[in-house]
Amino acid sequence: MNQISFRKSAFLAVFLVVAFVAGWEGYWRSQNYELAFNDDESLWSYYRSQVYESSPARPVVIGSSRIKFDLDQNTWEQITGKKPIQLSLVGTSPRPLLTDLGNDPNFRGILLVDVTEPLFFTPDGAFPEKQATRRVKAYPNWSLSQQISFRMNRVLESNLLFLDEEGLSLPALISRLPIQDRPGVWPGPRFPLAWSLNRFDRQTAMTRAFLRDTVMQNQVKAVWNDVREHSPKQAVDGPLLEAILNSVKKSVDQIRTRGGQVVFIRTPSDGPMNIGENLGFPRSKYWDRLLSHTGCRGIYFSDYPELSRFRCPEWSHLTPRDAIPFTRSLIPILEQKTGWKIARHSATPPLVSSTL
Amino acid sequence: MVFNSYTFVVFFAIVLFLHYLPLAWRTKKINLLLASYLFYALWNPPFILLLWLSTVVDYQMARLIWQEQRPARRKMLLTVSLVLNLGMLSYFKYGGFLLENFTAILSAMGVTFQAARPDIILPVGISFYTFVTLSYTLDVYRKKFAPEPSFLNFALFVTYFPHLVAGPIVRPEDLIPQFKTPRQATARQIYQGLFLLSLGLFMKVTVADGLLADTADLIFGLPFPVRTLDAWIGVLAFSGQIFCDFAGYSTCAIGASLCLGITLPDNFRYPYAAVGFSDFWRRWHITLSTWLRDYLYIPLGGNRKGRPRTYVNLMLTMLLGGLWHGASWTFVVWGALHGLFLCIERLIRDGLDRTRRRRTAAHQEGALSEGTVISRAALGPALSLRGRSGQFLLALLTLFLVNITWVFFRATTFKGAGLLLLSMFGVIPNGAPMLTTTAILTVGLVTVGIIVCHWRMRNSSLERLMERLPWWALGMVWAILLISLVLAQKSTSSFIYFQF
Repeated sequence: MNQISFRKSAFLAVFLVVAFVAGWEGYWRSQNYELAFNDDESLWSYYRSQVYESSPARPVVIGSSRIKFDLDQNTWEQITGKKPIQLSLVGTSPRPLLTDLGNDPNFRGILLVDVTEPLFFTPDGAFPEKQATRRVKAYPNWSLSQQISFRMNRVLESNLLFLDEEGLSLPALISRLPIQDRPGVWPGPRFPLAWSLNRFDRQTAMTRAFLRDTVMQNQVKAVWNDVREHSPKQAVDGPLLEAILNSVKKSVDQIRTRGGQVVFIRTPSDGPMNIGENLGFPRSKYWDRLLSHTGCRGIYFSDYPELSRFRCPEWSHLTPRDAIPFTRSLIPILEQKTGWKIARHSATPPLVSSTL
Repeated sequence: MVFNSYTFVVFFAIVLFLHYLPLAWRTKKINLLLASYLFYALWNPPFILLLWLSTVVDYQMARLIWQEQRPARRKMLLTVSLVLNLGMLSYFKYGGFLLENFTAILSAMGVTFQAARPDIILPVGISFYTFVTLSYTLDVYRKKFAPEPSFLNFALFVTYFPHLVAGPIVRPEDLIPQFKTPRQATARQIYQGLFLLSLGLFMKVTVADGLLADTADLIFGLPFPVRTLDAWIGVLAFSGQIFCDFAGYSTCAIGASLCLGITLPDNFRYPYAAVGFSDFWRRWHITLSTWLRDYLYIPLGGNRKGRPRTYVNLMLTMLLGGLWHGASWTFVVWGALHGLFLCIERLIRDGLDRTRRRRTAAHQEGALSEGTVISRAALGPALSLRGRSGQFLLALLTLFLVNITWVFFRATTFKGAGLLLLSMFGVIPNGAPMLTTTAILTVGLVTVGIIVCHWRMRNSSLERLMERLPWWALGMVWAILLISLVLAQKSTSSFIYFQF
């Protein structure tokens, strides 16, 4: 093949790639797919590097998915002047993050820990714990090269819908092929496409399509049932629970010794999910014990009418609309519980839901 | 910096731009050297000091060795270089491993010794650039060539960014002569280079990371036995992943370098179509296997000191080759298995040679006496081992054995490796089914694709294939590679061989 032929090949390839990308992006735009940011290691590391700037108005938040949905960062910002540093990881236990911050001699800030009992009290080595540990371990290796790539990627992801790794990448597309699974194999939770999205500030929110579509809401409920069916039938207890509590206390004490403060929050759940959690993880045995063991303050949503008046469309998370009054109500409760000065005097409550 | 990152795209565009400005060749080389340091520093800047130390010491030592006539002093200078290079490698790569084993030995002797856990970060690519500088000093010591007078050429030879962190492990003769005269790629080389970059990224991002890594990670991460099918699929997934990851890196390196008009040696030649283990090592990580051959196996005596010593040398070479990959006994066992298979193959080959010689002699005798002898071994009535089908079966047998060795390479503990091997051979019958049908089909299809591709290409080359394809077909293939990259989306994960 001569040089001209190579050039023709290259031009043909570029033409086909550009045509494909334009078509692919156009297709998803026509489907009203919403723009989202990948909640990946780099995005997490970007916020992890900011934990040293934390203050009562800008706390570090760790937890599972609920606090990512329920704490509306824009509302928080409008009231306090700053956004929280959201480090929570969907589907994981926050304990490895707590350990990491406890071991970090430079962290002496304010920490809000969201407790979803089945995830928080998961044993070491279980999937939710391992996933969070993996993220924590990746942070010290977040190289300069990755940081530059992250900044370039931010521009691309702000403009291109199809750069949604969780929904539209090749592995994600393959995993959604309608192929019957082998008996006895659980493929893990399979959420409907685009039921929620992640923003650059790591706020997670239900999509407009999800809020409109009760079929999709029922699909997510089915996923929770599926997850419950494949979760350990017995919650951790005895020496294992004691060990977990001791490890949490150790990290909390480390942070407190340096002048930091820790508050636990139990965000709302609803319907059978809430019933199942109460049965599996009785409050007195887990939540109350967590507070008494660590000596920390805690906010349990059902203790406050202003936090417990919301319904979760899929039993587990608040809608973006409800996350606003939830956050607005949470701040004075936090102030009252801790004595922190969080809200600005000039703060005005937001009227509309946050946008991307 | 990794090839599969946006940072590299911008970095490479700037490097190409500077390389094709009308500047003096020396200026271009300085640009390339600075770019190479930047390429390395963007991972962890302080470790660039080690690279400088290695470069300066070996440059000076080689000059001193060359000037020195007294054998004892030459040997001493060589020792200084070896101690420095291997000392750095040992400290950073094997420090923790040595301490762990030392503690274990003391403990076995009843001595309680609790060493502080060393917190050593392994500098990326240290095994690769250490071997690069070692080969230079050793070759000068052997008077294979005179030391390079230009420090710039030498520093660029060590640091040149395409090969710096994961090979190919270049030899002085591969690269230094190319730096002596101005290099500029032809348009054809640039297109070829860009195609190779696309292919390498496809192998890494789409195949290794996108299609195989999750399955391999899942199966190798389980602390309990799995079904035989799941175990095999997990191992095949790793087998494909490690090839596509590492060969993908080498392909990117060769492609990026070709765009600058500088050729790097081949590192892979369709290894999963290898017939036998000696053939495998002529096709897998070629620059490492030739390095080990030239600087370890042959100096140990190679096959020149009798048959038993040949086997000892083979085993020693492969054991150290295993240890080069990682500071763990599982890597040593991986190397030992390769050494063992090489020895067995050599035994069989020697046996067959002897039989053939006897038969030839008998045939000649028989011809004289009009007798009849069987002159060819065969598996069945129509399946000669020397025929294409027989060779294919032998290639599959080799791949089967290679996959057994990969278990030790990937497993982090012997317990994990043992569990997986027992599952693979059905010794534990009631393992858990873990993989989805989609994962099994994906790994199965990719594995078949790799085997077919390697088998069809085993006596050919990509360049020849590119020559044969009509322009539109090459354009379509290229587009498919790039579209699959776009679909696989960003993947900034490191290459597996970075850890070595």
